[in-house]
Amino acid sequence: MEEELIKTKAENEISVENGENLITTKWRDEEFRKIRLAFFNILEDTEEAKKEAEKEKNKTLDIINNLTDGILVLDEDNKIELFNPLASSLFIKKDENLIGQSIFKINSDRLDLAPLHQALKGSKKEKIKHFLRKEINIGNKVFLQVSSVPFNEKNEKKETLLILHDISKDKLIESMKTEFVSIAAHQLRTPLSAIKWTIQMLLDGDIGAITAEQKELLQKTYESNERMILLINDLLNATKIEEGDFSFNLKPLQLEEIINIVIKNTKDFLDRKKINLKFEKPTAPLSKVLIDKEKMELAIQNLLENAIKYTLSGGEITIFLKEEVGQLVFKIQDNGVGIPKDQQDRIFTKFFRGSNAIRLETEGSGLGLYTAKNIIIGHNGDIWFESEEGKGTIFYFSLPIAKKESLKD
Amino acid sequence: MRILLIQEDKLLRELLNQKLTNHSYRVDVACNGEDGLRAVRLNAPDLIILEMMMLGKNGFEIMQELKEDEDLKNIPVIIVFNSGQSEELNKAKKIGVAGWILKTELNLSELIKEIKKIEESLFKN
Repeated sequence: MEEELIKTKAENEISVENGENLITTKWRDEEFRKIRLAFFNILEDTEEAKKEAEKEKNKTLDIINNLTDGILVLDEDNKIELFNPLASSLFIKKDENLIGQSIFKINSDRLDLAPLHQALKGSKKEKIKHFLRKEINIGNKVFLQVSSVPFNEKNEKKETLLILHDISKDKLIESMKTEFVSIAAHQLRTPLSAIKWTIQMLLDGDIGAITAEQKELLQKTYESNERMILLINDLLNATKIEEGDFSFNLKPLQLEEIINIVIKNTKDFLDRKKINLKFEKPTAPLSKVLIDKEKMELAIQNLLENAIKYTLSGGEITIFLKEEVGQLVFKIQDNGVGIPKDQQDRIFTKFFRGSNAIRLETEGSGLGLYTAKNIIIGHNGDIWFESEEGKGTIFYFSLPIAKKESLKD
Repeated sequence: MRILLIQEDKLLRELLNQKLTNHSYRVDVACNGEDGLRAVRLNAPDLIILEMMMLGKNGFEIMQELKEDEDLKNIPVIIVFNSGQSEELNKAKKIGVAGWILKTELNLSELIKEIKKIEESLFKN
């Protein structure tokens, strides 16, 4: 460039000697030439930038196309602007062009997209839900984890990025695991029953007289076997919850009656640990709630047994029951070992046991509260707790009072 | 009183057999549903203790076949099942049972008392 300028300057100087017109023409030509050169340079740069942008775009598209998640970009009207092959393969006929179709109008010939539409629908009609993260089953054993995020928010157009993560394999493994536990537990029950019956017969003297020493040993074996049976039952209940076949047979009942049954069933345990149990409730009968008797007994029993287990001998447990607006609130308070603060958020997790609980009671499946929580939630109720290590724990649950029309049994 | 035990599991069958024999009951055993039905038809017992979960003919099918038979429908049946099968128990109760045994919760002495009660009511009739 610099050399060119110098050359131009020299030519100009010569032109001055040949007259003014010539100078002007030459100078103008020269200017045009420079402009043209600059223009070509710009064009070249633009072309290069365009190529670069194209390359970047292709790279991004390549990445999107090869992602193992389905990706869709929707415009303001929920119409598809961009999709990758995985997204379209989830939806249907291969290579069908989905561009411009509304996500709510798309159907699949082999899958049921209604749950997807349902999950995406916001409160306003046809308005998509943002910041959604939900697991859905779209039939044919296909499970998706759907995430939706607002996209290009600074632009005028408000777009949505939809990510469909296929979790079918995870679900399959999960269900195989659950099934395995369930089968193992079922299979274990018959031999455990046989052991139980055998020891009973030995203890009853059906097989012949036994010595005091033999009796003591058999008694211990019997108790061990009983714990194993309880553990198997806990496992089976937990697998039932996971398989989703924990069905509830709800009938309008008095919750206080269920509590009394559980207290009666737990009397031996209370006496053994010399724990004083009080049950405080209003004298007038409370409103009925819709209850699955068997399951509610299990939930309350788990809460009461936990209170007994983790309260030192001679301690106190109080159960309160009261009626609030539209609901019954159950409360069970103990002055036991409490739950350490750093472990409180895991207390309803399957197989979790507090560190101090394990020290105090080595036996325990870690399934009691998990099961109780699922039972209360299955009754449209809520469960929560307050606890301080070394002072005690209060567990609460609430159940909605049955509406009049559901009281007809 | 003659009791027919229909039980697939060998140990459970032997244990119950011994317990009942010790209490002076006459016990016949069948190790599957088909044999059980044959035994009932051949020589009707006073009481049947029936396992619900069996390969081949299961407890329900046997109960149904008994109920359809005029001569056999009044034989009292105690069913044996596993915990967590409350739906099965309810279904069986609808068909009509004299009692039920939850395998993992059974107290054998209690079972003998139950059988005595059934025996008394049979004699009353």
